Formats: sequence, C-alpha cells, structure tokens
Amino acid sequence: MRIRSALSAVAVGALAVTMAACGSGNGGSTGDGGGSDASGGADGELSCGEITFWHYEGDDSAMNQSWLVAIDEWEAAIGGTVKVEKQTFEQLQKNAKIVLTGDDVPDVMEYNKGNGTAGQLASQGLLTELDDYAADYGWDSVLPSSIQTTARYDEDGLMGSGPWFGVPTYGEYVTVYYNEEMFADNGIEVPTTFAELEAALDAFVAAGITPLAEAGAEYPMGQLWYQLVLHHADRDFVDAFQLFDGDVDFTSGPLKEGTDTLQGWIDKGYINPNASGLTAEDMGVAFIAGKYPVMVSGSWWFGRLNAEISDFTLGQMIFPENSLNAGSSGNLLVIPTNAKEKDCAASFIDTALAQGAQNKLAELGGLPVAGDASVITDENVKVLTQNWDAIVADDGLAFYPDWPVAGFYDQVVSFGQSLLNGSKTPDQALDTLGTFYQEGRADITGE
Amino acid sequence: MSNAAPSIIDPTAAPAPSRGRAPTPGRRPSTRVYWLYLLPGGIALTVVIIVPFAMNLWYSLHKWKGGLAPMRWIGFDNYVDLMSDDAFWRSFQNSLWMIVAMVIVPTLIGIVLAAVLFDVVGKNIGTRTASFLRAVYYLPQILPIAVAGIVWNWIFNAETGALNEILRSLGVTDPPNWLGVPGLALPAVMIVLVWIQIGYPTVIFMSALQRVDPELYEAAEIDGAGWYRRFRAITIPQIRPETFVITLTCTIAALKVFAPIYVLTRGGPEGSTLVPSYYTFLNFFDKSKIGYGAAVATVLTFVIIVVAVVIQSLQARAERREEEGR
Repeated sequence: MRIRSALSAVAVGALAVTMAACGSGNGGSTGDGGGSDASGGADGELSCGEITFWHYEGDDSAMNQSWLVAIDEWEAAIGGTVKVEKQTFEQLQKNAKIVLTGDDVPDVMEYNKGNGTAGQLASQGLLTELDDYAADYGWDSVLPSSIQTTARYDEDGLMGSGPWFGVPTYGEYVTVYYNEEMFADNGIEVPTTFAELEAALDAFVAAGITPLAEAGAEYPMGQLWYQLVLHHADRDFVDAFQLFDGDVDFTSGPLKEGTDTLQGWIDKGYINPNASGLTAEDMGVAFIAGKYPVMVSGSWWFGRLNAEISDFTLGQMIFPENSLNAGSSGNLLVIPTNAKEKDCAASFIDTALAQGAQNKLAELGGLPVAGDASVITDENVKVLTQNWDAIVADDGLAFYPDWPVAGFYDQVVSFGQSLLNGSKTPDQALDTLGTFYQEGRADITGE
Repeated sequence: MSNAAPSIIDPTAAPAPSRGRAPTPGRRPSTRVYWLYLLPGGIALTVVIIVPFAMNLWYSLHKWKGGLAPMRWIGFDNYVDLMSDDAFWRSFQNSLWMIVAMVIVPTLIGIVLAAVLFDVVGKNIGTRTASFLRAVYYLPQILPIAVAGIVWNWIFNAETGALNEILRSLGVTDPPNWLGVPGLALPAVMIVLVWIQIGYPTVIFMSALQRVDPELYEAAEIDGAGWYRRFRAITIPQIRPETFVITLTCTIAALKVFAPIYVLTRGGPEGSTLVPSYYTFLNFFDKSKIGYGAAVATVLTFVIIVVAVVIQSLQARAERREEEGR
C-alpha cells in the first residue's frame, strides 16, 4: 500500500502536469473520429492495425465467450487484430484512475458502470465521449432506455444524462432463486405474491429452517434491503434516489417502509443474525449446499448455480409483486481518453453488439441487451432471460443501492450489519445512511 | 504516503557513540568524495519519500477527485473537516488497540518466550529444540498476510468456521459471530495480529540474550537467585536496547497497519475495525476524495513522526542514565 500509493502519487502528479495541456482537447478528438468515419465504421472502410482490449471476465463466462465471437467477427471484417489483456476487477477498480492518465492505455476497456465507477472516470476526463459513435452506429436506438441510463454521464459523473461514455453489451438483475425440493419437502407452496412469500418464509421458520441465505459483510444484504424498498417505491423514487431528480426522504416513504419491512424479516427469523459477518461467497455456497431454501441475489450467480447445483432443482422468479428490481446494464465497454485507435475501438464495440456476439450471450445465460431469446435451448437459461426481458420491457431496472454516491457501498453494508446486529434501530440506521447520502449528493451536485 | 518516519532500524546496531564530535578530515577534497557516496541514498530518499510526501501535503490542501479532474484549492478545510469526522477519530482510537495487539502483548509474550526458550528449553532440552521452536514462532511473520487473512477468516466464520465448529462440538449452542459483531471483530482482529507479531520480538530477544554475559547469571545463581529473580534483575535490564527497538518498529507498524484489516474485515462490521491507513485508502480509491484521503495520511504521518521521536528520546534518556549509573 505504502509503496503503491507513493508511486501512484508520483504518477498522478507527473501526469496531471503533462495532461493538463491536452485535457480540454478530448471532445475534439472524438469529434474528429466520429465525423471522419461517419460513412465508414461498420461497413469496413476503416483500416485498423492492432487494438488492445482490457477486461476482467472469467474465461468461461458468457461475457468472455461472446467477446471472443465479436473478436473473430471483427478481425474477419476489418482485418485488424484484437490483443486481449486480462485484468482483475480489483486491479482496474482501484488503479484505473491512475493508469488511464498515462499513455500506455488500452483502446477498449471493460469498466464497472455507475456513478461511483465509470461516472468517476468520466468526470475525471479519462473516458472518450461516444455520442458521435452512438449516433453513427445506431446504439442509441438499439439499446433499451433503462440500459442507456448507465451509458451516459454528465460532467459531475452522474448517470442518466449527458454524453455517452460507455456501451453495455449485456445486463443483470436481482432475482429470487429457490430450492424446489425444500419447498416440496416442507409442503410449502411456491409464492406468487408478496403476502405468499412472507407466508412461505414464516412456514420455513415454523419448520425450524432459516429461509434466506444472506451475507451482511458484502453486497447481498444491501440488495435485499433495496428490493424491499423498491417494493414500496415507484419510478419517481428511483429517479430521485439514483439520478437526483427530486428530494429523497429517509424518514418516511419507500426507504422507511422498506427498512421497517427488513427489520421485521430479521425479527421474524427469516435471516440468520450470523450473516452479518458472512461474505457473498459464503451465502452462495450455503445455498448450493441446500442449507437455505431461498436466495435473493443477482443474475451473475446464475451460471454457477446452474452448473453446480446437483442435489435439488433450481427455481427462479422475479421478486413477487415488484415492478422495480435492482439491476442494470452490465459493465461498460469504454474508450479511454488517451487511447490511440478510437475509431477502431468503436467499431469493435459495435461488433460486440451485433447478432453473433449477442446470441452467444443469450445461449449462455448472459442476458444480452440486443439478442434473440429464441436461440436458447436450456430451460433455466430461458426462464432467466424471459424474466430479464419482462423487467426491461416494463422499464423495471432500478440500479443498485450503493450507486448514488461515491463510497456508499461501505455505508450500505454497515447499515445492513447494524440491523442484523440490532446495534441501531431502523430509524437510527436510516438516519446515518441519509446523512452520508445527502453529503455525498451535495458533493456531486455542488450543493 | 506515511513513509516519512524511519521504519527499519538495525537492531544489532551498537548504541550511537553519544554525541561525541565526529573526526573531521583535514583535507577538503576527500569530503567531496564522501558526498558522492551519499548521492544514491539522497536521490532515493527524494524520489521515494520527500517528493511524494510533499505532493501528499499539497493534495491535502485541495478538493480533488483525482485523474484529470480539476483541483480546487481549499486551504485547511480538509483538516477542519477531519476534526469533526467520527470515522477519523474512531480509526485513531482503533490505532491504540492496534498498539496493544502489535506492540504491548507480543513484546510481553516475546520476552517470556525468549527467556523460556533460551534458559529452560535451550539449557535443559537442547539448543536445536529451542531453534526449532523459535522458527515455529516466527512462521506467521513469513506467511503472506493475504494467506493468513484468508485462513483466519475461515477460522472465524460464524457458520462454517473451525473455531465455532469446535465450540459447537463442545456443546456451545450459540457460538459467537466473530467477525460480524462490532464488539467481537476488533478483539478477533487483535488475536490475529498478536499471532502474526509474536515471532518478531521472540527472535530479537533470543539474539539479545545470547549477548548477555553468562557470568552474570552464574554469579546470581551462586548467590541463590531463582529463575524469576534472574529474569527480573538481569534479563530485562540487559535487553533494554532491543526492547526499545521493538517498541519503536512495532508501534510504527501498528499505526500504519493496513493489510490484515483489508483481508479480514475491510474496516467493518459497522466501521468497528477502521484504522487510519484503511480510511485513507477508502477515501482515495472508493470515494475518490483524494484531498481528504491525503489529509488523513498527512495526519497519520505526523502522528508516526511524533511517536517515533518520543520513543527515541526516551531511549536516549534511558541510555544516558545507564551510562551515568556506571
């Protein structure tokens, strides 16, 4: 840490000086690129050498597989080559803002979407504006609107408006996974309404089974909380909470109601208080092992659950009666400001949105943003994708609880732990959360 | 960021020839040659410590998101904000617990272990056994912290961890949620730190004991002093220089501890294990509040410098007293 920080400081400092001169030229270079290739791009007039692509998806993941298809197609069509350099998520998450100030940057890079991540980079001037490319290639008409939200950031790094800075090729959402055998063995009906869900959870508690697999030391607990908040919320709330379009009340309304519901769930024994120290991995492993009948978590778990669960049948459903669900586009493909082959990079991104790559995603359960669900053969993948399509069609993506302000993740984790441990009342915990939120929001919007 | 204070001190270095005038060479050209030898070190010091430290100070006076974002001069506002920041104060409060876990407890255990290994095991069972045990105690120091952290994380896991499995098999129906409850997470982290640290003082004290003149022990033994009396009257005073070195290096390490916290708890649950360097990291990387993080780092650096100076002046005073006593 010490050495890295020192080096980073040197790097940032040195580069801040050298970059200051060309910092204002970002828009210009994009304009050039978009303009000059308005007639080129997809139809192959582009001449490209080698472009570098950084990402951090596992080899077997649907994302990686679909990008491999895109690479093949792009290389065949354009004649260039794509050099893939694997990174780790942590590495990029922590170092991107330093690495991207240098000259040795990739032409295309995967990066996490959201205010605190891609939004930060955009507001730090490290990402290329993609508006011209989006118009030329028609991305703005291909992608559904709630998917586009995470592609665009304003000058404060706030998503939802402003220029395009990244392009998602897949999506993700929070869903309810359940163990069909545990429901059947205990004679409990699979719920279809919220009231039935609570009744089912009660029935498990009565049978001596803690129903929800949870993890309080990482994101899952916060996402469950957000699902419950969304249960009481509408689109206006999401716009206010996530996009700062309106005031957010932490003492009444959806946040208060959702928090009280969660506290009720903890009190009724739906969640093991020990979860406060457990990680997402602990939660997933316990669910796969058949220790808990229900797990509320993201579609990113699907591939693993589908592959590893052998002792029971995996069931999935959209969180009952929620018209809004935690979820968003997947990570973005971005073009760093200092990238050298921007036009070629954009044309590669376009190939990643084309049918070949998108259908590969669909087949593997990767939730394509522009794919064709009819190519899917696996029954579970079909359900996952159909639920996704239903949520997107319903404009039901509500993003994630930790997105609105930078550093909120730790606050939300801590909030969930306070409720699990009973160290704060729901009102006190909400108050702490609200204070941080309002300060962070004021920071971003400039009071 | 926090590396302005000396962190490595040669434990075998003899006490400095106190403030005696250094012999000044008569001819001028040779002094110039000496300066040449200092150059590499001087450059390294400038590049690795002085420049980053100055830049850190500079950043701490700005509001800055990092990257290519504009920097805004805000004077001492970051420092003023720190004064009313609960997380900041809690992190330094936890630093005191880190000192307990990394300095006080390991040093006390280390003295006893070293004396037992050297005096009892070494003399009665054999020096090879003593060396073997010494190596065993030192093992956690060699183990990468990431590995140790993962193992301890599993040991402390409330549901599937080894510790709670053992407790359950002993009939404890509701074993503690070690890393999930604020009141327990800090002690749990402290246990891990003690485990990591013990080897260091033990090894240094054992080498210190070899330096002590055996005649002192023989004389005391002939006079009828038992093991404990010899330990109190000879061992402890004789190894005082090493004690100072350990206190200094470990206190600095405790103040800037980062890796064990990062691997074990990430400052949680509910911020109960937050420490200054992790708080800096959070501000720097997660919140992109570079200026604020730099301010925390600067305060931490000054605290470390002050602590180091205090410990060193205490050592100097103790040495002076000893010399006068002779």
